[in-house]
Formats: sequence, C-alpha cells, structure tokens
Amino acid sequence: MRALVLAGLVLVLPLQAQPRVQSFILPNGLRVLHLEDHEHPLVRARLLLRIEPGDTPQGHQGLPQLMLRMLGHSETADLKAEDLDRILEESGIQLVPSLIPEGLSWRLVARSRDQDRALGLLADRVLRTVFNPTVLDAQRLALARGLEEQEDPPLDRLQQALLRDPTTAPTLQGLGAISLEDLLAFHARVFRPDRAVMVLHGDLGLEQAKRLMLLSLGSWSPQERPKPAGGSPEAGLAVPASPPVNRNRISAPGRGLRIQALAAEPGDLSREAACLLGLLIPGDANLLPVRVSLGEGHLMATLDSEPTSGPGAWSLLHGRLESFRQRGFTQADLDRARRAWLARRSLESLHPEAQMDSSLTEALGRGATEARLNALSLEQLNAGLRSWLDPARFRIGAVGDPDDLNLLPKP
Amino acid sequence: MRLLIPVLIAALGLHAQVPRGSEVQERRLANGARLLLVERRGPSAFQATLVFQGGRAEETTATAGATDLLARTLYGATWPEDLEAGKAQAGLDALLKQEEGLLESLRLERLRLRRDPTTTSHLSSLEANLGAVQTRLTALFSASPLADLYTARGGRQWAEATADALVAQTELPQEAFELWCRTEAQRLRSLQLSRFAQARATLAAELRTKGVQGLALLCGAALPGHPYGRDLADFLPSLEALRWSDLRSYAHRSLRPDRLTIILIGSLSLETALPLVERHLGTLPLPPDGEEAVLPEIPADLGDRKVQASIEDARRLLTGWRIPPRRHADHLALRMAAQLLAGGKSSRLQTRLQRQKALVQRIDLNLDVPGGRFPGLLVIDLKPSDGHSLAEIDAALHSEILRLQQEPIPQEEWQRALAQLEADHLRAGDEPTVLARSLGMAWAEGGDWRLMDLDIQRLRALAPETVQAAARAWLTPSHRTKVLLEPTPGASQDPVEKELTRVLKALAAIRIQDPAQREQLVLEGIRQLRMLSPEERLRTLKLLETQLPPEKP
Repeated sequence: MRALVLAGLVLVLPLQAQPRVQSFILPNGLRVLHLEDHEHPLVRARLLLRIEPGDTPQGHQGLPQLMLRMLGHSETADLKAEDLDRILEESGIQLVPSLIPEGLSWRLVARSRDQDRALGLLADRVLRTVFNPTVLDAQRLALARGLEEQEDPPLDRLQQALLRDPTTAPTLQGLGAISLEDLLAFHARVFRPDRAVMVLHGDLGLEQAKRLMLLSLGSWSPQERPKPAGGSPEAGLAVPASPPVNRNRISAPGRGLRIQALAAEPGDLSREAACLLGLLIPGDANLLPVRVSLGEGHLMATLDSEPTSGPGAWSLLHGRLESFRQRGFTQADLDRARRAWLARRSLESLHPEAQMDSSLTEALGRGATEARLNALSLEQLNAGLRSWLDPARFRIGAVGDPDDLNLLPKP
Repeated sequence: MRLLIPVLIAALGLHAQVPRGSEVQERRLANGARLLLVERRGPSAFQATLVFQGGRAEETTATAGATDLLARTLYGATWPEDLEAGKAQAGLDALLKQEEGLLESLRLERLRLRRDPTTTSHLSSLEANLGAVQTRLTALFSASPLADLYTARGGRQWAEATADALVAQTELPQEAFELWCRTEAQRLRSLQLSRFAQARATLAAELRTKGVQGLALLCGAALPGHPYGRDLADFLPSLEALRWSDLRSYAHRSLRPDRLTIILIGSLSLETALPLVERHLGTLPLPPDGEEAVLPEIPADLGDRKVQASIEDARRLLTGWRIPPRRHADHLALRMAAQLLAGGKSSRLQTRLQRQKALVQRIDLNLDVPGGRFPGLLVIDLKPSDGHSLAEIDAALHSEILRLQQEPIPQEEWQRALAQLEADHLRAGDEPTVLARSLGMAWAEGGDWRLMDLDIQRLRALAPETVQAAARAWLTPSHRTKVLLEPTPGASQDPVEKELTRVLKALAAIRIQDPAQREQLVLEGIRQLRMLSPEERLRTLKLLETQLPPEKP
C-alpha cells in the first residue's frame, strides 16, 4: 500500500508541471478552461467575448473599437478609471485589452497572491462600467483622430492602412453615427456570460479556480444592461471630416520605395491548410526578393525596391506571388509540413500564453487536429494556396519618394 | 520511509510559494564559453539562446552593419548546405568567392561611372557574369523553408543585433537537443554565410526605406563620436563595400567562445546537457586574442544640446540624458526614477502631462538607449496633443524632472513603482524567451547574469533619497540633448495643412510684395495654426478661404 502511495506521489510530481486543460461552466453559462501550473507564483487569465457578424449594425463601423476605449476610460460602479489603473499597478497586475478577430479580449497577469483582487478588477472593468455621454464624445473624437493620424512613421502608416479591414474598420461616418444607446445595446448583446470564454493558467488548483470564478464573475447575468450616467442618451454626433487622404500611397521624400500586399486568410480555408501554408510560404526562396510574413489572420508580402527599379516593382511582386501560386506544392512538401507542424506543437509547452491560445482556439472549434491534418489532401492544400494568394484578395500599398510613387502604375 | 510521504506532499504544496531566483546553474566550458541552465519541469521542448558580447558598439566604421548581417546570415536560418563539410563546402566557397569578386567589381564600376558617365560601361557584362554565378549558387541553395534543419523538426529560430550583443534564440522539441548542440558548433566552425549577398541587399534596401529616425538623430547628437551614436543608415556606402570574406573575418574575431554565453531553458538537467554541450560547443577553438576595441569616452556633462529637425509630419519632442552604464552604482536609482516618471498609467508623466493637463498624446520612456554596457541615454519621447506646442511640453517635462529632484517621493507612489518592477521581474521569469534574453543582456551589458536577480533585491533596499540624488546628478541640463521634430510648413502631407499653406500663400501674395517677407509670414502662420485643434484648423481654413478673391472663370 505504502509503495503504491509513494509510486503515485512520485508520478504526480512531474505530471503536476504539465498543464492539462480542465473545463467547467458556471451556472450563468460562462465557460472556463483551467490549466494548472505551479512553476511560478503567477496566475494568468484570458477573457474572450465573442463578437458575431450582426453585432455591429450597418453604418456603425467602429462600435467594438469605441466600446473598448470606453471601457478603458470610464468609471465603474465603484471606481474612477484612473483609480482602477492605480490599484492594478499597486499590485503589479497587468491587464491588457484588445480587439482580436474573434472578439474583445482581456489578458491579465497577476501574482497568485493577488488573484482575487485581479479577477475582481477585471470584472469591474468589463461588467460594471458606467457609460457616460461625455466620455463617449471624448473617446469618439480620440478614435477619429487616430484614423486621421499622419504623424506615425510612413512605414507604420502603410502597414496600419493595409491591416484595416474595409468591412469592419472604423470610419468617421460610422463613429459619428454611434449613440450612447447603440453602445448600451451592443453591450447588452455581446457582454453575456454565454458569449464568453475564460482561460485561467498558473498557480491555482481547480477548486480554487471555481471559487475564484464564482466570486468574481458568478453574478454576471445575461440580462444585465448598464445604465447610462446622467441624463438621457445622446444622439450620435458628427465627427469633423478632413479632406480625403490616400492611405495606401504614402509619400516619404528621399526614402527608398517599399510596396506591400496584404491578403487576409480566406474565410473558408481549413485550419489545417492554414497551419501548413503558414509553414510552407514564408521564407520560400522562390519568392525572393519579395518577403512574406504571417500575421494574425493574414499574410503580408513586402518588396523593398532598388532605387532604379521602382516602375517594375508592382509587376515583380505580383509576378513572384502569382508564379508561386500557380506552381503549388508537392506531396513531399505536404508530408514535410505535416511532420514539422506536429513536432512544433511541443513548443507550446514552453510558453504559458501559447498554451492559453491553444486551449482557447480549441474551445472555439478553430483548432487544427492531427486527424484532419492527416486527412488533408494535396489538392486541398494547393486550392487553399490559390485561394489565399488570389490577386483579387490583396490590399496593396506603397511608401516612398513622390518621384518613385509617381512612376508606379496604378495598381 | 514514513517521513518521505509528508516530504513529498509538502513539496507538492510548497512548490508554488517559492519564487526561485537562484534556479540558474552555471558552468564554464574548457574554451571559456559560459553555460547557464534553467531547469523546468514539464516542457517537451527547450529554449536555447546564444549571446555573444560585443554587438554594434564594437563595429568599426568599415564593419558597420556586421552584427546585423550576422544576425541575418548566420542565425536567420539553418540551411543544410551551410553546415556541410568537405568537398561540397569547398565548391560552395569557390562560388561565393566568385560572387564576392563580381559584386565588388560592379560596385567599383558604378562608382567609376558616377564620377565619369562618359566612359565605356562594363556594367552589363559584369551583371551578366554575376547573374550566371548566382544562378549556379541558387541551384545549390535550399528553396523550401522546410529544408531548414530546425523548421523541419518543428523548431523556430530568430536573432537580434543589439548595441552590446548578438543574440540568437532557438526553440526545438526536446529530442532535438543533441542535434542543436552539433549544429550550433558546426555553424560556428564553418561560418558559411552563404546568403550574404542577399542579406546585404535586403538590409541596405530596408535602411533606405526606413529613412531618418528621430531616435537616431538624438543618439547622434547626444553621443557624438561614439559607436552608440552611430546611425547605420549613414553608413550605407560602407555596408555596400563590406564583402563576404570581410564578414567572415569579422565573425571569426568577434564570435569567440570566451565571449559567448549559452542559456538553456527546459526539461534539461545539467547531467544530461553539459556533456553534450562540452562535446560540441566546448571544443570550439579559441582564436588568439585580438586587439581590444578602444572606444571614446564621452563626458556625461557635455552641455545642453538641441536639434531642430523635420521628418515628414512627425511632431515630437525627444529628450535624452546621458546616464552611466548598467554596472554603475547610480544606474539602479535611475531605473527607479524612470519607473516613477513613466512606468504605467498612474506614473507622474502619464498622470500630469497626459491625463490632467492633456498636453501630450503619447509618452515613451526608454532606459539604456541604445545599450547599457557603456554610458547611454535615458530617453523620454513626447507627442504633443493638438493645440499644444513643443515648447509647452518641454517646460512641463522640465517641471516634472525638477519635482522628482526636489520634492519628497510619497511612500504610496514609491511602493507602486516597486510593485510594478517586481511584477515585471516575476513575469520575465515565467517566459523563457524573456528570461533568456534578460539573463544574457545582464551579462553582456553589466558583466554578470546575476544582475537580473540582484537588481530587484537592490531595488527593494533603495531609498527614495538615493533616487533623488541620482536624478539631481544625471538628469540635468548639462547631460541633456533635445530633438524637436516639426514638419516644415508647406511640406506636410496633412491635407488640411497643405490647403492652409496654399490659402495663406495666396492671401500673402495679395498683400505683401517682398517674397522673403511673404514666405516668413506663411511659415509663422502655419506654426501658429498648428497650435489649434483639427476642428479649429478646419474652421480657420474655411474662414480664410472666404477672404480669397473669387477665381476668374
């Protein structure tokens, strides 16, 4: 018996460090994934609120972005925005909000001793915001100014312009149309526990995680609708519009010419094909001098042109991508990519955030699986390549000396 | 035996309570290389980092860009053809030598034609020869990214050139550890750099595209004559003259085992890892000592310097103070000062300049720019809000510096800054990439990897008065350099400003005869109008337009 107990404990010791995903659902419908890891006295949390296509009404582009800004600058039921920031910093808690393709996300890292406070503050920020018309106006204006920003370095501006998805990116008209009522309605639609997934990682056990979740987010109910502060909701306001600027052709006197093409990942591309293409495309020598990098849901092709070769730059970039697209991959490429991808999964074990990403992706049903990967045919892979590198999908732009830009043919 | 059970149970529970700062195990290899091992339980992969002390600061003007090129050519990928020994390597070497000769001939020919465009050009024949050699080379090169030895095994690698070090990081599945040891040793033995020409062309093109940067202007003005003040973009001709064999010689001299720290993080024990590291990386030959680079010393109190410049539409104030290197006694106090000033949303500059006075839109503070091994800079980069001038934010920043130097630091604020630094330290320990880099840079900049932990302990023992004393000693006008970036009136890409310039010019042309006076008036008018918010500027534009005479049909 004693030997059995000992053997069990000895087995548990190394296993304890291997985070295993456990999941539970709170009575209010909030789904929680838990990865226990006691390597360091830290707790990480990731809250994702899914946004669905119909959540942003027609003509209200920028609603999710404005909501995120509002949450960061508004009072909560008990705290001013700056007091909440101060309390977070007093405990060394890191809380980073972001808008990702799947929805609104908050990343939180805290010492394990501060986990109650950290999750409580996250709940304050996300659920107990007081929506104030004055803050709305200020944040709307700030967001609008960001859209008009001309002061960032030209290379950054080009990248930002290409990354803007024309169907969802904020527009001056869209921002101007958003009223406080729209924000409250958006909040009521999206900020629901049954729309959310929480991932917890680190120095807390399963029971502790359940207690923590019940304590901080257990009272979150789908019916909650935040009350506006003071007076009736304001109607949408006009945002001053400047003369239009071509954001995809940026003049930078004296600089070399850079042209870029961004292709968003096709919506119908399988996760498995996307993963393998991510290994097979960037760094392929046949694309040179065009460099291709992968980003969140897109690939970006870049060509820094020699000073004298500007006029031919577009055709060079398109030619390289098109011949690559037409050539496709071989069965040997597919087999090698499969092996590499399967081996690469082990790297996740090094990084807590990667483990959380992976759990979240799986929970959203967007994870690649070994079985589907093995079932992927060469034809499907090459069809995926042709679809992703379809010239019609590219958003293109250039930055450089006005003389070089003028020589470029209109794309 | 009964004792063992409670001990094991205690180990399970207590493990989480111990922040293990002293978990790094250190060994020296026979050739002088240093091994740091951080054992983790659980991961089925490992993280390996090579840190070569030196970096951009040790480049001469003739080798400017060498560290960046090594990061790209030596550590950008792991191609099998770069690791093959014997006959295949000899063949590749011969072709690379031919390519080098032709590239150099082409460069000289272009220079000659620039000096005298009337002479007969040999460009086309040289380009044809180069094309033929490069075609033969390309046939030897792997094309698919999955030919890369590490990528094919699920790994990834990246490298970074910094002012003080070349840092190369790799992540691989656990079972590839011996392959990694063997490959890294072979990489340093052969120093093949087969993609040199391509990497040099890409780097040069990137530098031309990037253009002048505000921070580079600041470093150049604040650290004149020191490699820390050098902007690689100013050394494009040197970079283009740097040959494949020059870079190999440079690599032989600078990537020495006794200037290398190897950092391993993962489920690796010293017993299993050390023999393999010793066998492969520990047997790398140690070249004879070269000449130590002699770097100029710049007095910290060089005097208050100010640079006014226009870089496109940027409107920013960059202020840099010359500060001591990382190993200096005052450095830690300045780190705390930086945290108090701009470390987080409730820091002084964020609270007063951004939130309360709304003078600035963005605040960035960086310590040890561009490096920490030699005296560098503490840089505060401020972007003014609409309606506020650079002079206003300069005055406000100066007030905050004086406040830090003169007024007692509230206990609550001190504790908040300390808590953030402690939390940063803890988070760094949890992320292998950051941990390895922090250990490596502590060694490369401060001479001791233990600084990563020691710094946090010393910070806890620091007194507010020490921070104020350091701020009084170093954050003074005599140590300061300012760069004021404002667009040249009329050259702005902002459509409103373009339109305002046009209208002002037209109005001035009606009323003022003297062209110089006219230009002066327009420039001053644009400067004043920049102080307005965008809405006010638009309104002013519309108002001014009404004063223009109607256009003739």
